[in-house]
Amino acid sequence: MNNFSRERFKTGEEYSRALFFLSPFILLFSISLFQVLNLTLFQGDKYQTIAESNRIYQKPISPVRGFIYDRNGTLLAENIVQRDLYVTPAYIEDSAETILKLSNLLDVPYELLDENFSRGVKKVKKFDSFPLVKALNEEQIAKAKVNLDSISGIEVKATLKRYVLHEETLAHVLGYVGDISSDDIRRDKLLAELQNTQIGKTGIEKEFDYVLRGKPGIQTQERDVKGKLVRILDTQGAEDGKDIYLTIDQKLQDHLFKLFENRRGALVALEPKTGLIRALISSPSFNPNILNSIVDTDEVESLFSNKESPIFNRAISGQYPPASTLKPFVGLAAIENEVISWDKTIKDDGEFYVEGDPRPYRGWKENGHGRVDMRKAIAESSDVYFYTIAFDLTLAGIRPMLDSFGFGKKTGLTDFEANGLLPDKKWKLGYKGDFWFKGDTINLGIGQGYILATPLQLAMAYSGLANKGVIYQPQFIQPEDEKSFEPKKVAEIQLSDNKAWEKMEQALVDVISARNGTAHKVFDANSVVIAGKTGTAQIKSILPGKEYDAIRENPALRDHALFVGYGPVEDPKLVVAVIIENGESGSEVAAPIVKSAINFYTGGFDAE
Amino acid sequence: MQNKPLSFSVDIRLNQRRNLLNFDYSIVLTVFLLGLFGLAMIYSASGSFTLVLRQAMYFFLGVILMITAAMSNFRKMEPIYLNAVWIGFFFLVLVLILPNSGTTNRWINLGFIGFQPSELMRFLLPISAAAYLTRNPQIKLSDWIIVLVTTLVAFILVFLQPDFGTSAIVLLSGIMPIILSGLPWRFIIYSFLGGIGTLPFLWMSLMDYQKERIYTFISPEADALGSGWNIAQSKIAIGSGQFFGKGYMEGSQSQLDFIPESHTDFIFAVIVEEFGFLGALGLFLLYAFLIHRLLYVAKSSNSKFAKLVSATLSIILAAYITLNISMVVGIFPVVGMPLPFISQGGTALVVNMITIGIILSLRRTT
Repeated sequence: MNNFSRERFKTGEEYSRALFFLSPFILLFSISLFQVLNLTLFQGDKYQTIAESNRIYQKPISPVRGFIYDRNGTLLAENIVQRDLYVTPAYIEDSAETILKLSNLLDVPYELLDENFSRGVKKVKKFDSFPLVKALNEEQIAKAKVNLDSISGIEVKATLKRYVLHEETLAHVLGYVGDISSDDIRRDKLLAELQNTQIGKTGIEKEFDYVLRGKPGIQTQERDVKGKLVRILDTQGAEDGKDIYLTIDQKLQDHLFKLFENRRGALVALEPKTGLIRALISSPSFNPNILNSIVDTDEVESLFSNKESPIFNRAISGQYPPASTLKPFVGLAAIENEVISWDKTIKDDGEFYVEGDPRPYRGWKENGHGRVDMRKAIAESSDVYFYTIAFDLTLAGIRPMLDSFGFGKKTGLTDFEANGLLPDKKWKLGYKGDFWFKGDTINLGIGQGYILATPLQLAMAYSGLANKGVIYQPQFIQPEDEKSFEPKKVAEIQLSDNKAWEKMEQALVDVISARNGTAHKVFDANSVVIAGKTGTAQIKSILPGKEYDAIRENPALRDHALFVGYGPVEDPKLVVAVIIENGESGSEVAAPIVKSAINFYTGGFDAE
Repeated sequence: MQNKPLSFSVDIRLNQRRNLLNFDYSIVLTVFLLGLFGLAMIYSASGSFTLVLRQAMYFFLGVILMITAAMSNFRKMEPIYLNAVWIGFFFLVLVLILPNSGTTNRWINLGFIGFQPSELMRFLLPISAAAYLTRNPQIKLSDWIIVLVTTLVAFILVFLQPDFGTSAIVLLSGIMPIILSGLPWRFIIYSFLGGIGTLPFLWMSLMDYQKERIYTFISPEADALGSGWNIAQSKIAIGSGQFFGKGYMEGSQSQLDFIPESHTDFIFAVIVEEFGFLGALGLFLLYAFLIHRLLYVAKSSNSKFAKLVSATLSIILAAYITLNISMVVGIFPVVGMPLPFISQGGTALVVNMITIGIILSLRRTT
């Protein structure tokens, strides 16, 4: 009873007050009803006429996407007209019959059309149209045009689609375009008014989308009651996207792409004196036109699920151990820190031991190279020599030199590149949960262990060697006038002895020219003189008692082959970094590509 | 009721048996009719089966919550109702803090489901206010002031989102319990005059698009292709429906996308275009009947709490219905309010159905 007693006080006024405050709404409600009566009955005829008469409609006009050219004005990406067959469900009397007719006419399986139709019908309104068959071929267009009038509710619409001319060759540089997703609009509100337009999803298409995209226009149209266009009243033209000229040399790119023969790997070729990228390859590649106009979803599916990951851009996002290609930088650090001099020799008998540790650090050559100085150690790629100087240098001695050559840092070429990894004590403790051991420094000395670099970073670092310490900002956009172009310096490395650059270069020339050089196989008296360094990156560490021969039975565990070089040495025009995944021998598979690139580019014997 | 001891005990036993399922079935039936009609109209207006399916899931959830609320004993729920407002405040603050995706901050996304905290507040606030005002036999002036301050804070939070329409509803939902619970008339009149005094300041704090809507209402022809377009198209749709309508899914205005937001705020225009004046009249009668039955709870209950809650929630519901329809027919500015039980929108539907459930529970336990 307690509940009742506490509420037993004056009530009753609530209801009457509620009615009082409800009265304005009741009044508005009644006026609304009268207004409906007024509109439907008293003015119904008038509105009926308006509804049935022609109407003004505003339709956005898509801008034309800018073209992409190479440095010489060769067209790389354009737009082509794609004709799609559209169907409007409201104007179709018997869908089964219509589909059968179309299936016979266009030679498309009935089941496919039927599936497309029933999927499309659910997505759009009755009076809206949707694409039933995308990208009609010439024959289909001709047949459809002749027979179109006998089938109601069908029309052929033309839209512009991105088309890349050299297909696979430039896929990773250019990237691909796609429809605007709601996520894209959330990130960039300007996109909301660009319906039915494609935008860049990766590569240059994405990075410079704001240039290529343009601005949409508006067309004011008069349409009849069935939504059909009567006439165009006003057109505010779209502002088309601007064209882009890339630093890429299409001929060089084409030539080098063929040399990859679809092997997994990457290449970056740039001008050391300007940072302009002349070729950039990631292999295997894909045909961006498949993604640019989504015709066959199965093909797209297979692109993304392919184990060789053709979509992935290995040249800027692939991170590999630099292996012996790191030795010149470790060598310069050792000279700079006076850990060793150019002439001092170290005995390399194939193994290196740290005091108190019985495990040997083995060199790649079983019995070693004998007594080696810096020049010979680079040319023959003596591991024991670099184990020794790395051990003496310690991590603190090696790291600053590698850092100044750009290892472990983004180059700023694109937003999508990987960082690489320049490890330090803090990193190892944080990510591996372990302290930095001397062994880690020793491994770093030959570019193994934790350090990772992208092919782009390697090319950049070697451009520093070619320029005697200066590194320029890499870029994809071709300057209007190359001669007056002033590249931006991103690093200027000073050595206490300026002659060190020439001495290191001599050692790198020996790699190919000297009889014992690791890449002497590619030596060719007709070739321009090239300075470079081989590398063989181990993916799996060889455990004691196991031999590499046992590991190499699994092709996926075979070593990566690297070669980074530049030439001609007297006036470096091109620096090239090549990696062939599981290619095993840098001198046999990577060095020939670098040699070919430099000769082709400088008009040497490889040029046509 | 003055019962004799004997008949009283019989009544109790009868009550206990029928107790849980003793609600006003005419209200439940009306809500079902409106909800199902809404699903059909959303399909016609949007042509999207996905949207209908999503709305149907909310409707199903709403039915479960409505029945659950209707079967609850509101006297036992009172302590919960008293504190429910804090849930509303929590989400209102959260929605302002969280990074937003557009120019307005109205949604909270829980990943699988999104909802509008302001919709929640306009239903939690009056319930808590009623519970607070009736917790003691006598209402003190301080009680009214505390409820008023709480209401103003909630109003400002929604206004900041910014959501002009719903903030007005939140204000109404907090002030109604104060007024209905017996605040002396002179206070009401002073506050009303004071409220008018703040109008100029309110105007200055409106967003540009909100001001534009009011300009548009005053002179729709001024911007025939901009905001006036909505009203003009909506009127054409309604008028061309004439007496019998053009038939389900046959409205050219709606099907050709001339009506903006046809499946949400402007769904009434689609209804009249396709079902004509007759359809509109039918809908008006359903709504009038629903409000009438809901108010009957306020009239017949002998609990002050029940009276306050049912009267306030009924008025709020009536406000939504009236403001939406008068906006669509062009006699009120566009304020962006959904048509209860019919417009597409999950939060509003579920909240409205819980509202009905609670009013049903108030009636049963009296």
